[in-house]
Amino acid sequence: MEYTFQYLWIIPFLPLPVPILIGVGLLLFPRATKNLRRMCVFPSVLLLSIVIVFSTYLSIQQINNPAIYLSIWSWTINNDFSLEFGCLVDPLTSIMLILISTVGIMVLIYSDNYMSHDQGYLRFFAYMSFFNTSMLGLVTSCNIIQIYFFWELVGMCSYLLIGFWFTRPIAANACQKAFVTNRVGDFGLLLGILGFYWITGSLEFRDFFEIFKNLVYNNEVNFVFVTLCAFLLFSGSIAKSAQFPLHVWLPDAMEGPTPISALIHAATMVAAGIFLVARLLPLFIVIPYIMNLIALIGIITLLLGATLALAQKDIKKGLAYSTMSQLGYMMLSLGMGSYRTALFHLITHAYSKALLFLGSGSVIHSMETIVGYSPNKSQNLVLMGGLRKHVPITKTSFLLGTLSLCGIPPLACFWSKDEILNDTWLYSPIFAIIACSTAGLTAFYMFRIYLLTFEGHLNVHFQTYSGKKNSSVYSISLWGREGQKTIKRNFCLLPLLTMNNKERASFFWKNKYRINKNVRSMTVPFINIQNFGTKNTFSYPHESDNTMLFSMLLLGIFTLFIGIIGIPFFTQFNQEGMQLDILSKFLTPSINLLHPNTKNLMNWDWYDFITNATFSVSIASFGILIASFLYKPVYSSLQNLNFFNSFGIFIPNKLKILGDKIINVIYDWSYNRGYIDFVYVTFLTQGIRRLAELIHFFDRRIIDGITNGVGISIFFMGEGIKYVGGGRISSYLLMYVFYVLIFLLIFFYYFFFQYF
Amino acid sequence: MVQAYLVFTTNYFPWLTIVVVFPIFMGSLLFFLPHRGNKVIRWYTLCICIIELLLITYVFSYHFQLDDPLIQLTEDYKWIDFFNFSWRLGIDGISIGPILLTGFITTLATLAARPVTRECRLFHFLMLAMYSGQIGPFSSQDLLLFFIMWELELIPVYLLLSMWGGKKRLYSATKFFLYTAGSSAFLLMGILGLCLSGSNEPTLNFETLANQSYPVALEILFYLGFFIAFAVKSPIIPFHTWLPDTHGEAHYSTCMLLAGILLKMGAYGLVRINMELLPHAHSIFSPWLIIVGTMQIIYAASTSPGQRNLKKRIAYSSVSHMGFIIIGLGSISDTGLNGAILQIISHGFIGAALFFLAGTSYDRIRLVYLDEMGGMAITIPKIFTTFSILSMASLALPGMSGFVAELIVFLGILTSQKFLLMTKTLITFVMAIGIILTPIYSLSMLRQMFYGYRLFNAPNSYFVDSGPRELFLSICIFLPIIAIGIYPDFVFSLSVDKVEALLSNYFYP
Repeated sequence: MEYTFQYLWIIPFLPLPVPILIGVGLLLFPRATKNLRRMCVFPSVLLLSIVIVFSTYLSIQQINNPAIYLSIWSWTINNDFSLEFGCLVDPLTSIMLILISTVGIMVLIYSDNYMSHDQGYLRFFAYMSFFNTSMLGLVTSCNIIQIYFFWELVGMCSYLLIGFWFTRPIAANACQKAFVTNRVGDFGLLLGILGFYWITGSLEFRDFFEIFKNLVYNNEVNFVFVTLCAFLLFSGSIAKSAQFPLHVWLPDAMEGPTPISALIHAATMVAAGIFLVARLLPLFIVIPYIMNLIALIGIITLLLGATLALAQKDIKKGLAYSTMSQLGYMMLSLGMGSYRTALFHLITHAYSKALLFLGSGSVIHSMETIVGYSPNKSQNLVLMGGLRKHVPITKTSFLLGTLSLCGIPPLACFWSKDEILNDTWLYSPIFAIIACSTAGLTAFYMFRIYLLTFEGHLNVHFQTYSGKKNSSVYSISLWGREGQKTIKRNFCLLPLLTMNNKERASFFWKNKYRINKNVRSMTVPFINIQNFGTKNTFSYPHESDNTMLFSMLLLGIFTLFIGIIGIPFFTQFNQEGMQLDILSKFLTPSINLLHPNTKNLMNWDWYDFITNATFSVSIASFGILIASFLYKPVYSSLQNLNFFNSFGIFIPNKLKILGDKIINVIYDWSYNRGYIDFVYVTFLTQGIRRLAELIHFFDRRIIDGITNGVGISIFFMGEGIKYVGGGRISSYLLMYVFYVLIFLLIFFYYFFFQYF
Repeated sequence: MVQAYLVFTTNYFPWLTIVVVFPIFMGSLLFFLPHRGNKVIRWYTLCICIIELLLITYVFSYHFQLDDPLIQLTEDYKWIDFFNFSWRLGIDGISIGPILLTGFITTLATLAARPVTRECRLFHFLMLAMYSGQIGPFSSQDLLLFFIMWELELIPVYLLLSMWGGKKRLYSATKFFLYTAGSSAFLLMGILGLCLSGSNEPTLNFETLANQSYPVALEILFYLGFFIAFAVKSPIIPFHTWLPDTHGEAHYSTCMLLAGILLKMGAYGLVRINMELLPHAHSIFSPWLIIVGTMQIIYAASTSPGQRNLKKRIAYSSVSHMGFIIIGLGSISDTGLNGAILQIISHGFIGAALFFLAGTSYDRIRLVYLDEMGGMAITIPKIFTTFSILSMASLALPGMSGFVAELIVFLGILTSQKFLLMTKTLITFVMAIGIILTPIYSLSMLRQMFYGYRLFNAPNSYFVDSGPRELFLSICIFLPIIAIGIYPDFVFSLSVDKVEALLSNYFYP
């Protein structure tokens, strides 16, 4: 056993050969490498499955020895400073390891099919494997600098993968936005690291917590400074986990290929922020205000994410906001100090959301054959609908994920979300009310997405009826009723943020087709749908290939059963008489190791559980009910129409107008991303641009102007002297007389002062 | 025979003289080569460069002890007796890194200059002259010799700029020359002052000068003189405007030399003369140095996004990165100084590589302004890849050398005992803003050049991707960047002992 632990550090580096080989191959022998393209999935899947085996083995071993520190090598700068690199494996790490490798392997298998026709297939796999490496490295790090190291690498992978389809201008902007926003977080993280290094003089977690705790008990630290540093550390998590002020990059990140959204922007990388907070929880817990701040940020994010997700028309952006909201739940739970619950939700959410994203990828894949390859169309909820008949397996798995995320009992997210809600009631009633209502909102928007996608009829063909092919895709009411969907767009206010249909991203590969003036549909050379929008294309979407379905099914199974690890059905009594489920049993040693003072009593009470569960389930089902009431397609059955009509009679006119106004407000809020992007664009981006211009002007005109001015004045002086010395006797005489005069004057004064 | 062997194995063999003189001597033979076209000249020059690089590595690996902080491989030949001027060479832990960097970058720059066809003979002679002129200042142990070498390398740069540059080459060459020559006047004044104000006889030797002490006012005066000279070269902010113009106009092989080595000479001079010879004044001025460095990082990084010209944008990024060196020097701590030396080397690689890539892509696109470019990624994927990697290196991505250098400088300023907590916090904070600004300009540069699409029927829509030579070159530069980024002890092992010895002069460590 000891022998195997010595080679622990290999785990993160196992997937590394793949990107290196592909990268070298693509640079040096591009043609030969491209011929071998399908071959390279096997090594990456194989290596990742080795990682799974290793990490499972580790987590089994974990029950006996709580944490393993291993130092591999160090940077020795001088005697004062040396940095030891190594790995730390504790339950948190091994949970993350299993999570990353399982989701990673599913996504790899899935994307083999999803990306199979893409020109950048190899590049994609190189990036993916590199991402896996750096993510695994991130979770096994044993000091903060190492975390920062991999933190940035993960960010870079995310940058590369968001900008994977680099010919799309939107993707180009999105990847830069993601990187810069994350850099803002990293800025804080780095400063926080430096601050704590200055306070404690150590960077390794174990010593670091130890020293810091002693310092706090002896009251030797300046609390303002410490709180500031802790906040700065936390700001790294804010950016990475898309929490409130820095969440703007996440929805834009959906420009990347869908498997990436599943792996990086739903399951693993965005969870890195949660991981960091969980890792540093012993630190945060001793600093008074920071936990409240974390909880506050969490609650703001979860509410904001849910409200923004309410009316998204892009399926992936809707899911992205939902991810943000769920991350808010995790952050809230960490802020309340319940480490276990946050991790539990992290796990369940990762599987459910990965499933949802893979499902949406499958939907997009099948829609692409009909509406073309522009993300504005293939991901547009308005054009979908009725896919239930065409893609049954995808529909089932998507429904599974949706139900799980809504918090419907047998599925994974129910257990974790229920626990979080319970904890909130204990923490603060206001927070609890917000969190619970957000659970309702979650159910609402998830079901909205589900219903718009799979229920009703395929809306693509309806578009031609409206007569306004080009102007608006909203000719079909998103709210199920005609005549009430005028969406105000403040063009003057938000020229940059609203998605303008005319400036749609077009996407050109080597052979490009200008199809017609109305529709610039991007085409991949393999499949061309040339006549969308002008003629009816009565083709129907079809189910994705088996490879994609396979990984979705596996994830579905995970979503069904992963809740088990947190459910106390399999209770065991250990020595202290506590009832523990698998997850708590697993985490207890590490919790005790990290902060032995917190009580970990899980008093399981069936009565409490059932009341709370009923409450949360009823909220969720209320949300689902409203969603199905609003989005159940009108034309699907006569009954519904009657129901709507009868409902419409009872509502007085004024209320109707008020309702419309509310709806419009929600739509505006959601479409314009809560106006936060707008604020950032106007104040930060433009501000920096203006500052750059100003400084450039200053640099050109003033600093360089002085230099050039000196040059020019010397030039003129030279010219003047040249003129004077141009060989004229008169000017020589003038100069001569002038100098003689000056000399005489000085001489005279000198003479004068000496004698008088 | 035995004696010859002994001469080779012992330290008495004038290795450094050979290292310094060899390129320019062989370069002057270039004019006697028969007129057989440019190919012969190129190969000859390249061979000389490679032989010189191998020679440097051989000498350093066999005749240089890393753990010895003293000056090694010393040579001392009397030149002009009456004011003790002599041909005095020697290297120590601080200069070994830049010399190796010089050998590496100059060789690669010569390789990069292969497309040059106009006046090939003169061009390559100038490259070789630069080779000597750059190694000279790094290896001289005599103030006046330092000055002579310093001036020697100006002439080739001026000619390279004014003959092979872009449209405004004469303006920028003149500006460069006047700027640096003007600063050299201060350098000469400082040197004369140091030489004459010491003991009763004029001293020019670094070692004796290092042990001397001066009245504080005099020392401050000398310090300022030297500082202006090195501030122009390195550049430090009010004196930086020659750099964007020069870089914008020069041929990219010249740019590689300028960014890779010439800028580092300023920083080296600051360490060698200002820190080592004038410790007292340095500790007085170090807060100002740090303030200037911090301002420089922010100022240059925020000027850079406003540039339309690709090369000027990269030039401002190097100005911004030089700020870290100044801060490292100002921190007067072991860690900080080591970080500064690492940054010298790391930026030497990164800057040179970025200019090389900018130059090669300019050769293809023939567009200078960023807003006219776009969508180049499909046609030149290899350049895209290397360019992205090196932009990442430039924005200090972990795993690459820039990150280590900046991190060490950060730690240096943090552990420096000279400053109060508040000032340290403030400075670190402002420095770290540079971390946010760097990706803004470098990634938007990438985006404007490569991302997006290009209209189909535009002229010149097809370009040749980088060939094996260019690929080899980029990989050559990329490998040390990664190596230093992962294991920085490569460079630290060179400088640690010398830095410790140097800082022991300071009363407050």
